[in-house]
Amino acid sequence: MDRMDEHEKKAGGRGLYDRVNISVKTLNKVIIALCIALVGCMAFAISNRGFQVDFDSLGGTAVESQTRMYGELVEEPAPPTREGYDFDGWYMDRDLTTPWNISQDTVTGSMTLYAGWNQ
Amino acid sequence: MGENKIKAQKQAFAQLSTQEKMKKIGDLLLNNAMYIIILLAVIYISAKVPAFLGLSSVVNVISLTAAKLPIALGIGGCIVLTGTDISAGRVVGLTACIAASLLTTTFKVFPSMTSAPPIIVVLLMVLAVGAVVGFVNGFSVAKFKLHPFIVTLSTQLIVYGVILMYLKNGVNNGQTLSGLSDSYRSLITGTLFKIGNVAVPRYVLYSIILTVIMWIIWNKTTFGKNMFAVGSNEESANVSGVNVARTIILVFMLAGMMYALTGFLDGARIASANANTGLNYECDAIAACVIGGVSFVGGIGRISGIVVGVLLLQIIFAGLNFLSVDANMLYIIKGLIILVACAIDMRKYLVRK
Amino acid sequence: MEKQKTASAAEAQNSKDVLLRMEGIVKSFPGVKALDNVSLTVKAGTVHALMGENGAGKSTLMKCLFGVYNKDAGHIYLEGREVNFKTSKEALENGVAMVHQELNQALKRNVMDNMWLGRFPKISKWCPLTSETKMYAATKKVFDELEVNVDPKTVMSRMPVSQRQMVEIAKAVSFNSKVIVFDEPTSSLTEEEVEHLFRIINMLRARGCGIIYISHKMEEILRISDEVTIMRDGQWIATRPASELTMNEIIRLMVGRELTNRYPEKDNVVGEPLLEVKGLTAAYSLLKDVSFTAKKGEVLGIAGLDGSGRTELLENIFGIATRKSGEIFLHGKRVLNRNARESLANKFALLTEERRATGIFAIRDIQANTTISSLWRYKVGPFLSNKKLSESTEWGIKAMRTKTPSQYTQIRSLSGGNQQKVILARWLLTEPEVLLLDEPTRGIDVGAKYEIYQLILNLAKQGKTVIMVSSEMPELLGVCDRILVMSGGRLAGEVDAKNTTQEEIMSLAAKYV
Repeated sequence: MDRMDEHEKKAGGRGLYDRVNISVKTLNKVIIALCIALVGCMAFAISNRGFQVDFDSLGGTAVESQTRMYGELVEEPAPPTREGYDFDGWYMDRDLTTPWNISQDTVTGSMTLYAGWNQ
Repeated sequence: MGENKIKAQKQAFAQLSTQEKMKKIGDLLLNNAMYIIILLAVIYISAKVPAFLGLSSVVNVISLTAAKLPIALGIGGCIVLTGTDISAGRVVGLTACIAASLLTTTFKVFPSMTSAPPIIVVLLMVLAVGAVVGFVNGFSVAKFKLHPFIVTLSTQLIVYGVILMYLKNGVNNGQTLSGLSDSYRSLITGTLFKIGNVAVPRYVLYSIILTVIMWIIWNKTTFGKNMFAVGSNEESANVSGVNVARTIILVFMLAGMMYALTGFLDGARIASANANTGLNYECDAIAACVIGGVSFVGGIGRISGIVVGVLLLQIIFAGLNFLSVDANMLYIIKGLIILVACAIDMRKYLVRK
Repeated sequence: MEKQKTASAAEAQNSKDVLLRMEGIVKSFPGVKALDNVSLTVKAGTVHALMGENGAGKSTLMKCLFGVYNKDAGHIYLEGREVNFKTSKEALENGVAMVHQELNQALKRNVMDNMWLGRFPKISKWCPLTSETKMYAATKKVFDELEVNVDPKTVMSRMPVSQRQMVEIAKAVSFNSKVIVFDEPTSSLTEEEVEHLFRIINMLRARGCGIIYISHKMEEILRISDEVTIMRDGQWIATRPASELTMNEIIRLMVGRELTNRYPEKDNVVGEPLLEVKGLTAAYSLLKDVSFTAKKGEVLGIAGLDGSGRTELLENIFGIATRKSGEIFLHGKRVLNRNARESLANKFALLTEERRATGIFAIRDIQANTTISSLWRYKVGPFLSNKKLSESTEWGIKAMRTKTPSQYTQIRSLSGGNQQKVILARWLLTEPEVLLLDEPTRGIDVGAKYEIYQLILNLAKQGKTVIMVSSEMPELLGVCDRILVMSGGRLAGEVDAKNTTQEEIMSLAAKYV
């Protein structure tokens, strides 16, 4: 009998949930709602799947974005042009340190490729 | 003996009325909702993209798990103390930057240096950095009784500031650090062994060693027992002669050192480090701990749970990546996963009225 | 005879003066039936006492009335109309109020804020600002009625508990409550304040209120109440007019058997002085200049009212409260005991009063709870040995005769008495010489109490010094060798347990109040 009196007391010892005041029934509904939201979100994400590959021609003519799947190659776009410069390929970073090998490198996420220019 | 137990449980279950049975099943479903969702997702993904169950994908998931495990093991201790630590990701970033700036061939941050210091010196250095941040966190929590959220929020900011300033040092001008020395890279990402023609990197082994060490600390030492006692009831622990303040400080310091190790591994793993390295790592780690049954109720948690939690999270993220789900969407999914995991965790320890 | 009324509507002609009728209330918690077909009828203009041991179901019954718990079965009628309150606020608005044992007040706010919380009077219908003047006047009016001499603008935390309780009562009155429940109202009141409370209760009775009075103090009950309902183990036992009852009769009904042999045979031998406390004064509590000596093999009781500094005395000796001055000697050698760790090393042990808040680690298992204070004993090299841990825990369970399925059971699933035994085992494993026990039998049922007494006496027989605080005087008289009486933070006197009386202790306890 005494056990119950102990339960009734709002003594500490329940960490972050110390002051939680919600019934199990309500919480069940919350959990179910959250699960539905999570599954829904995943379903939405999967139905809208595809990584967006943007091209930043850094001053050259604009290049259209592409949507690719995991593991696919990027379709080689028509090379951009810029007055007084020669296009020398696509790079993974703005600093143009890592080149993107368009015939070998596969897409693993959304990204932006930057154009490299030679004077 | 275990078999008998299961038998007894089966018998007890059979004796229940239909209504009670439904309730039991409902309880079981709700308490394991997270696992069920992940399982279903994995089944769906592997049906859609069979390559997901391929050898290289599996090794990839295991490597990712190994990379994210140390930070989760560190945060797990803070959660056992009913706290949390949101400075973790930034500490990973800082230590990755320190390691990448010293164990390099270009020395952009310290232009006067010509050769890299011994790896062990750098390792001890990053451990010290992690321990100092952990000490500040732990001391503020233990002595000023500040909520860990507030304390680690401020250290998170401070550490971020330090990273930015550090990267401005020398001729680096805030840029990404790369060009790491080969000895550092091969020590961490070198091949441990090969399965077929897929290489398993060395840091998987390091991660396993760290897990074993943490298991021993949690289960076999006075400090571990004290940690669980403080987590479950600080007042009782104090009366029972536990040095509460020291325990809290040590937990946070240990956590800080685990973040430092994560950073040390991450620098070489990613082959570069910048101000965004480690960003949001703590979210994954906290989510993994909660999924793995380290409860915010305090004083409850197992190393094995954390390992499972990290693994499950990496599986689901790798799977969604395989399905070409955009990273932006992953953030929303991550957030929801944490919410669901917390709600389920709360459900287990709710006082029933 | 009360039972036969259940569920029958034959009460029609009586229902006029029946204010509250609870019929066949059933409430179960997982594994326990807390209330089993309990009925209670309160008539207008009477005081109805509700009695029973701890855990008999009194507060559960009240919580069902106020909607804190949902009852599983049964009906509640207020003035003949069936009600089913969902919250205590709803109950209040319908004229059912409760004065809680543990006061839930906003201590940083003043008296009138607390009285009108949730229903602040507005300046007018058109101006939705709260009106301080109206609030003040209304509060003052209620206080004058009740002869409470408190300024409505006093901040709650500056008032003694007794006055805060008066405010709570005034609040209940201000709702024009028809039924008022008093839950152990006198536990923190002085004799004078109790008289005042009784005047107020009599006044409310004269007005036609129905009062439910929950208390353990039988003298009070026999004095103030008209009817007494006795509960035991969640069941209704009897309802009788107070005039027909005697104290022994009440005890018999409450316990269900005559209480002979409530205490084990005392055969401990008191030896040399072991512990000496000199001029102990606390820095942040009322404890002042307490000196005493405790001997080897002795059970030393500490009596006094709540708030007389008994707990503070133990906490100061053990070092978990800050000392201002005073010295402690063990075996003639001075010990500092600046914190729990030092005290533990000096062979002291403290069983705290609030078992749940400062004793157990609720979600940890028995083993973790038993071994936490003596972890150094189980080390092999730098690591803890599972074998040693479980052996010691097993010893603890056997020695204390703890009832538990295994040592890996969570302690929160044990009963209060068994939890207490686990904590006792925890301390015994540290091999203490001085055991400080604060209310060791609080919230424990009668059978387990006897076992705890036995354990205490066994410890004394082993030559340990036991210092035991208790609010139950018969317990002190039955178990202790000597009894120190505290009053207002000071030591009011020392009596020999063999030839003293409750009256003598009571008068000492009131010495410095």
